[in-house]
Amino acid sequence: MSTRPNDPENEASMTEDYLWNHSGTPDPQIQRLELLLAEFRHEDRPLLFPAGSSASLSRPRGVLVRFPWVPRLAAAAVILLAIAAGMLAPPRHADVPETGPAWNVSNLEGTLKIGSRAVAANQVGAKLYVGQMLVTNSSSRASLSENDLGEIQIEPNSRVRLLQTDPMHKRLQLDLGTIHAMIWAPPGQFVVDTPSAVAVDLGCAYTLQVAPDGSGTIRTRIGWVGFHLNGRDSFIPAGAMCSTRPKIGPGTPYFEDASVAFRDALHTFDNADQPSAAASAALATVLAQARPRDGLTLWHLLPRTSAADRDRLYTRFAALVPPPAGVTRAGILSLDQHMLDLYWNALDLGDISLWRFWEQSTEPHAGPAPQQFVPKKQLVLKQAP
Amino acid sequence: MNPAADPNSSDDALVRAAQQGDRGAFGILYSRYARMVHGILLSRVSYADVDDLVQDVFLQALPRLDSLREVSRFPGWLAAIARNRASDFHRRSKPADQLDDEPTEPAQNHPATSPRSHSGAEARAALEAILSLPETYRETLILRLVEGMTGPEIAARTGLTHGSVRVNLHRGMQQLREILGRKAAPLTGGEL
Repeated sequence: MSTRPNDPENEASMTEDYLWNHSGTPDPQIQRLELLLAEFRHEDRPLLFPAGSSASLSRPRGVLVRFPWVPRLAAAAVILLAIAAGMLAPPRHADVPETGPAWNVSNLEGTLKIGSRAVAANQVGAKLYVGQMLVTNSSSRASLSENDLGEIQIEPNSRVRLLQTDPMHKRLQLDLGTIHAMIWAPPGQFVVDTPSAVAVDLGCAYTLQVAPDGSGTIRTRIGWVGFHLNGRDSFIPAGAMCSTRPKIGPGTPYFEDASVAFRDALHTFDNADQPSAAASAALATVLAQARPRDGLTLWHLLPRTSAADRDRLYTRFAALVPPPAGVTRAGILSLDQHMLDLYWNALDLGDISLWRFWEQSTEPHAGPAPQQFVPKKQLVLKQAP
Repeated sequence: MNPAADPNSSDDALVRAAQQGDRGAFGILYSRYARMVHGILLSRVSYADVDDLVQDVFLQALPRLDSLREVSRFPGWLAAIARNRASDFHRRSKPADQLDDEPTEPAQNHPATSPRSHSGAEARAALEAILSLPETYRETLILRLVEGMTGPEIAARTGLTHGSVRVNLHRGMQQLREILGRKAAPLTGGEL
């Protein structure tokens, strides 16, 4: 492509669309720099006002501090509205109106469906609007993108719905299939609901799979991901993976380069629904096979073992990863949250305050956000006792 | 809920509401602009000091909001406060006998960077390469490569024109490639 040499506008516009707005062919060197430099990116944290200041506000949602009942009332109202909306909603297969915020869809291969509409290969300008479902068949693949978020590739035989997109929250629902996410939004902003866990991006690239029975698997390539269901959390750093089961939630994460004996024993332990001799024997194998790097797994096992097992677990964990200052045996055995957090940070796999902040900032919004699409399936769950 | 404090409100509406004391609106502005302020500061001061200074910038901006007559100028106004805060930080950091009108030192002259994870050395080298660029380029490139903002977003957030941002990105990236090429740093290959 030619350009006038002294015209900076033209000079700059001729190439590097990826540098400009993440579109076009990604430049590997720029992508590499983005990944490296994300280390220095702004971490979401509340704006703290000095105590006693007339501008006193402990976090951006200042009104919640003065009126602590507001979130509950709002959540209740939202749930009621959502239930009412569900009762009045058209049948599930009706098309969602194509208005409001949307993500760009690139059809990489084959024919896919958005709502009831087929999107042919190479069709440009396709969008996925909030509430719409994107479905790929056995021969189609697609890519979703949003400037402030990143890119999500959708593999064949997948079903993905866009639940929410606003400057601070992006939410997908993966019912089935596989997605590969490359996220550059700040940690905690991108969330994927699956039938058996919620995956929270903490600054990373990862692959998430959901099987027809609702179970799932996550593999992290860069950064780390939080997996969450009913108060059960797992953190999966780069190089690690974790499974999740419906109604039970995330299993125990492990590094994929752990020994086969370690992984098999962990699988046995995770799938034992009750304490048993087999589970105890499996734990013994896990401990015997663990390397310092497998502190990741041992840390997660602490709250998932009986008191007796926890004692020997701690002994092995402390031998592999010396406890940092402020952490005591008694504190860990009693599952002191602060000490567990300190110990996690000593593993140097990610700062757990990111996760705590996400939890804190999400808690008041127990119900769906006002502009969030609420699938019927979720409404049924809300009405259950 | 105050409609002005709606996360979907325009910046102008939020600025007007914040001028009238709506802290919720200011909180939303903070969440929208914190990355920009962080990037501007990171291009001028050491990484270790940036988080505290981000807070300072917003705390300085809040009581001054009344003085902003054209609310549409909020992005450029806030960016200017951030740049001034960085200069002020350098002035106060110097011993009294060195106070003068020297240009602001780029951040690589500080024992700056202590990244959050152990992939640090390579990340630090990349950041230092950017910080060796002229100020205009390094600010825009940091907003793009570190803070993850797009060109249009940088333009909207900083008040610069699209053309200026494009040129800064393009030329800055060109110079950065040359520096990285000279250093032959392992930034172009390897497993991501």
